[in-house]
Amino acid sequence: MYRYLAWTGVAAVLCLVPFYLDGFWLQTGLFAMSAAIGAIGINLLTGATGQLSMGHAFFLAVGAYAYVFFSAEPTERLGGLGLPTGIAAVLAVLVAGVAGGLFSPIAGRLKGAYLGIATFALIFGGQHVLFNAEHLTGGFNGRAVPELDLFGFSFGDTPELIVLQVPFGTLERLWFLGLVLVALSMAFAQGVLKGRPGRAMNTIRDHEIAAGVMGVPVARYRAGVFVLSSMYGGLAGVLLALVFQRTVPEYFGVLLSLDYLAMIVIGGLGSVGGAVLGALFVSLLPQLLTKYSDSIPLVAAPGTPGGVSPAEAARILYGAAVVTVVLFLPGGLLGLIRKIRIRPPRLRLPLSPPSPSPETRSPHVP
Amino acid sequence: MSPDRKAAVVIAALALAVSACASDKATGGAAPATATGGDGVKTGAGVTETTITLSLLTDLTGPYASLGKSVTQAQQMYFEQLNAAGGICGRTIETVVRDHGYDVQKAMAAYAEVAPRTAAIPQFIGSPMVTALKEKITADKILTLPNAWATSLLGSDAIQVTGTTYDVDMINAVDFLTKEKGLKSGDKIGHLYFEGDYGESALNGSKFASEKVGLELVEQKIKATDQDMTAQATAFKKAGVNAILVSVGPRQAASLVGVALASGLDVPFVGSNSAYSPLLLDTPAAPALLKDYYVATAGAPISAPLPVYEKLIKDYEAKFPGEPLDSGVASGYTQAVIIGDTLKAACAAKDLSREGIIKAHRTQTAWDGGFGGTPQDFSVYDKPASLSTYIVKPDKAAIGGSVIFKEHTISDLAKEYQVPPPA
Amino acid sequence: MTTFVELLVNGISIGAVYALIALGFVIIFKATEVVNFAHASLLLAGGYLVARLWPVVGFWAALLIGVAAAALVAAAIEFLVIRRANVASHSVLAIVTIGVDIVITTELTRQIGTDVLAMGDPWGSEVVRFGGVTLAETRIVALVTAAALITAFLLAFKYTGWGVAMRAAAEDAETAALMGVRLGRVSMSAWAVAGGLAAVAALFLCVFPTPGLDRSTSLVALKAFPAAILGGLDSTTGALVGGLIIGVTESMMSGYQNDMAFLGRGIGDVAPFLVMLVILLIRPAGLFGTKELARV
Repeated sequence: MYRYLAWTGVAAVLCLVPFYLDGFWLQTGLFAMSAAIGAIGINLLTGATGQLSMGHAFFLAVGAYAYVFFSAEPTERLGGLGLPTGIAAVLAVLVAGVAGGLFSPIAGRLKGAYLGIATFALIFGGQHVLFNAEHLTGGFNGRAVPELDLFGFSFGDTPELIVLQVPFGTLERLWFLGLVLVALSMAFAQGVLKGRPGRAMNTIRDHEIAAGVMGVPVARYRAGVFVLSSMYGGLAGVLLALVFQRTVPEYFGVLLSLDYLAMIVIGGLGSVGGAVLGALFVSLLPQLLTKYSDSIPLVAAPGTPGGVSPAEAARILYGAAVVTVVLFLPGGLLGLIRKIRIRPPRLRLPLSPPSPSPETRSPHVP
Repeated sequence: MSPDRKAAVVIAALALAVSACASDKATGGAAPATATGGDGVKTGAGVTETTITLSLLTDLTGPYASLGKSVTQAQQMYFEQLNAAGGICGRTIETVVRDHGYDVQKAMAAYAEVAPRTAAIPQFIGSPMVTALKEKITADKILTLPNAWATSLLGSDAIQVTGTTYDVDMINAVDFLTKEKGLKSGDKIGHLYFEGDYGESALNGSKFASEKVGLELVEQKIKATDQDMTAQATAFKKAGVNAILVSVGPRQAASLVGVALASGLDVPFVGSNSAYSPLLLDTPAAPALLKDYYVATAGAPISAPLPVYEKLIKDYEAKFPGEPLDSGVASGYTQAVIIGDTLKAACAAKDLSREGIIKAHRTQTAWDGGFGGTPQDFSVYDKPASLSTYIVKPDKAAIGGSVIFKEHTISDLAKEYQVPPPA
Repeated sequence: MTTFVELLVNGISIGAVYALIALGFVIIFKATEVVNFAHASLLLAGGYLVARLWPVVGFWAALLIGVAAAALVAAAIEFLVIRRANVASHSVLAIVTIGVDIVITTELTRQIGTDVLAMGDPWGSEVVRFGGVTLAETRIVALVTAAALITAFLLAFKYTGWGVAMRAAAEDAETAALMGVRLGRVSMSAWAVAGGLAAVAALFLCVFPTPGLDRSTSLVALKAFPAAILGGLDSTTGALVGGLIIGVTESMMSGYQNDMAFLGRGIGDVAPFLVMLVILLIRPAGLFGTKELARV
C-alpha cells in the first residue's frame, strides 16, 4: 500500500519538474535519464552476469547514429532513409542489438577481463568508422538529429505548446518521454532479473562451471545478455541524440565507457535500482560542483587561480567514490540506502549480495 | 481506499498545488521580452541596468588546458580594464567561466546553464563542442567567438570565426613554400593532420593548393593520442616529399620535425597555428623546431611591434608574472577586444539585446583594432573574415617564442579558393 | 625495402616498450588475477618524478627514484585497495583500479598543468645509421633494456624462490598458502615490480622522438592492453610477443597508410585492436595463455 503511495509521489514530483526548473536542469536530468537506461543495460551484463564491457559507448553511438540515419531525409552528401521518426527510433535500438549480436562470437566465448579488453576494440574501431564513413555519419561534423514525432506529437520546439502557462519546448517534452523510457527500461530489466534468466545469469557470474552443469547454456546466455545490454545502450543513445540535437563522434570514446562502469559500481552491482542511482550520481555530481563552486570550500571557481577546479574535484570525487564503495559499501549506494532503512519500495531486488565461492575469490585473501 | 484511488487523490492534490504555486516559468508562453531601460538602451537576456554578462566556455582541465588558461586570463584582464575605464553603456562587464574539459556533454551542460543569462560568448574552445551546439547558438542568437578555425563553423549568423580558417592558412603556406622555398609543380608535399575538423579543414586547403600548383599531396592522418611520429616521418621519406605541412598538436609537430631531421629528411615544414607552442623550446625538440619550421597564422605573433601588443605584454606580465605569453594570450585578447568593440557599437546604436549585438557586430566591415594584418570583414558569415596569413618562425629569444618571418599576405591562390559549403 | 626495414625495426623497438608495460599487467594478473587499469597512472607517476627530479639530482638518480616511487605507489594500491576489497568478481576489482587511476591521474595532470617536461636523458636526439636505416639511440637503449628486463624476469620466474612462490600462488592460492607461501607478500611484490616496469616504460615513451612528458602521456598505456591480451594475460612470453606484434602492426600500418587508404586513413591506431580481435577469435585465451580446463 505504502509502496504505491510512495511511487505515485515520486512519479508526481518528477512530472512537476519541467514546470519549475529551467533548461539547464532539464538537460542535466535528461542526460541522467539516458545514462540510467545505458547503466541498466551494462549492469545486466557486468553486474549480473560478470562480463566486463569497456565498449558500451560504442552501442550508444550505434543507437544515436542509426536513429539519425533512418530518420533523416537523404541529401547530396549524407545518406538517410527518411523513415517516420518513431519507427527510426525502434529500428535504431534493434540495430544496436544486431551490432551486439555480431560481436557474439567473441562475447560468448570470452569472459571477464579478456572480454573487457576485447571490447576496447569496439570503441577504437567504432570511432574510426564514425570519422571515416562520412556518407553515413557526417564524419567529424556529425549530423543534425531530426526531431522525434510520435503519432503527430512533435518533441521539438514547434508547434508552440503551453501547459498550465508554462511554455513546453524540446526539453520539457523530452522530459516526459525520458521518464516513460526509464520506467519501461527498469520494468523490463526487473522482469529479466527476477525470472529464470536472471538466476541463470547470476549463476554464470558466481560459478560458471556449476551453471553449465545445471544445464544453463553458458555461451548462449553470455551472447544473449550482451545483445540485450547493447540494445539498452542503443536506446540510451537515441535519447541522448534527441537531447543533443547533433551527434558528434568525439563523444563516444573510452571515457564514456568507463563512466558507465563507474556508475554501476557506485550505484550497486547487479540491480536495476543501483544502476539508476549510480547514473544519477555520476551525471549530476560535476554539474552540481560547477554550479555551486563559489560556495564549496577548497573548490575554486573555474578561471580563478589556486585550489582544485570543479571539474578536477568532480573527477577525484568520482574516482574516490568507486574505490570507497568497493572497500566499504558492498552493494553500492543502493545497499547503503537499504541499510539505513529508507527503503525505496520495489527497488528491493531478488539479488542477494553474491556469496563468494572459492574459485572466484581473490587468491590472496586467505 | 484502493491504491488506485489513493494515487488519484494524490495526483489531484498535486495538480492543485501546481496551479497554486507560481512557477517562474509560467510566462504563458510569451517570449522573454526585450526591455528598454531608463537610459533609452534596449536590453535583452544577459544585460541588466548595471551589468553585461559574458560567458567564457573554455577547457582548463582537458587537452587544450594550456590554451584555455592563456585565453581566459587574457580575456578577463581585458574586461577588467574595460570596467576600470567605465564599462559599456554605464554597465560593468561580468564574466562567467565554465570549464568543459573538452567534453561535448559537459560543454552542452555548461552552455545550457549559462545561456539564459549570457549576452555574448567571447571564447568557446573546441570545434566539436561548438559544432554540437551550432543549432542552439544560432537559435538563441548569442554572438559566439569560437577559439577554433574550422570551416565547419562558418555559416551561422551568431558564430564569428575570427581571422582565417585553417584551410586558408594552408593555402597561403603552400604559396609561401613555392615562392620562397623553391617548391614547384611536380614536387611532392606531405601533410600530417589530426583526425577531426581541425586537421580535415586544413587538408581541404592543402588539397586545393596542391592541385592548383601541380603538387602531389602525400597524406598522413593521425589521432590526438599518437605521440611518436617515427612511422609517419619514414613514410614521408619513402614518398620523397619536398616540404611538409603540419596540422596536429605541438607535441606531434615536434616529434615529426625531430625525427625527420634526425633521419635525414631535411625539408621545410609549415604548421597550422595550433601546431606550435613556445613551451616546446625548453625541450630537446628545440633545435629541430628552430631550424626550418614555420607557422602560418592569421594573427600577428605577440612579439610584433604593435602598440596594442606592447601594452598587452606589459599588463599581462604584471598581472600574471611568469606565465607564458603564447599565441593563446594574443588570440584571446584579440577576441575580447572584438567583443568589446562590438558592444561599444551596440551601445552607440542603443540596442544591447542579443539581436542588437549581432547586428552591431555584422556592420563592422573592416575591423582592425590595432592588431595588424588585413582588416577583418564581419559582415559575412559564410566566408572567413580574412584571407591574409602571417608566416612566423620559432625564436627562443622573442616574447611568445616566435617572430614574424614574412609579413601578412593574401596569396592569389587564396583569393581563388571557395570555402566548401557548410554541412 | 629500406623503408620496410626501417618501419620494422622501429616497430620492434616501440613494441619492446609496450612489452614492458604489458609484462607489468601480466605479472599483476598472475599474482592477483586483477587486470590493472591503474597502470597508466603508475606510468605517469614514475615519469613525472623523473622529469621533475633530474634537474636536482641528475638523471640516473632521478630514474632510480622514479622507478622506486612507482613501485611504492603500486605496492600501496595493492595493500590499501586490492587486498581490502572483498568482492566476488574480478571484474569489480578491475573497475576499482579504474577508480584509482582516475584519482591519481587527475592529481598528476593537475601538477603537470600545461607543461611539457623534458626527461634529461643522456641520449638526446642522436641517431644511428645501419646502411640506409636510421634508428634513434633512445630506441636502441629501449630495446636492449626491455630485452634485458624481460629475460631477467623469465629467469627469475623459473629459478628464484620468489618466482616459484609466485607460480605456486597463481596455480592454486590456497594450497600455496598451506605450503607456506605468504600470499600477501607475493602479490605486493608483484605489484611493486609492475610499477617499476611502468616507470621504465614511461622514460622511453617520453624521450626522443617525443618531446617530453605531458598530461597525455598516460594514454599510451592503452596500447599495451591489446598487447597483454593477445599474448595471453598469464604468460610472460606472451607479453613480449604481444608487445612486438602491436608495435610492428602499428608502425607498418601507419607507414603504409597511403597504400591502404581504402581502409580509411588513420588505420594505424585501430589496427592493433583488430589484430587482437582476430587472435582472440582463434584462441580465446591469447597466443600463449593457458586455456582454462574445468574438470567437473
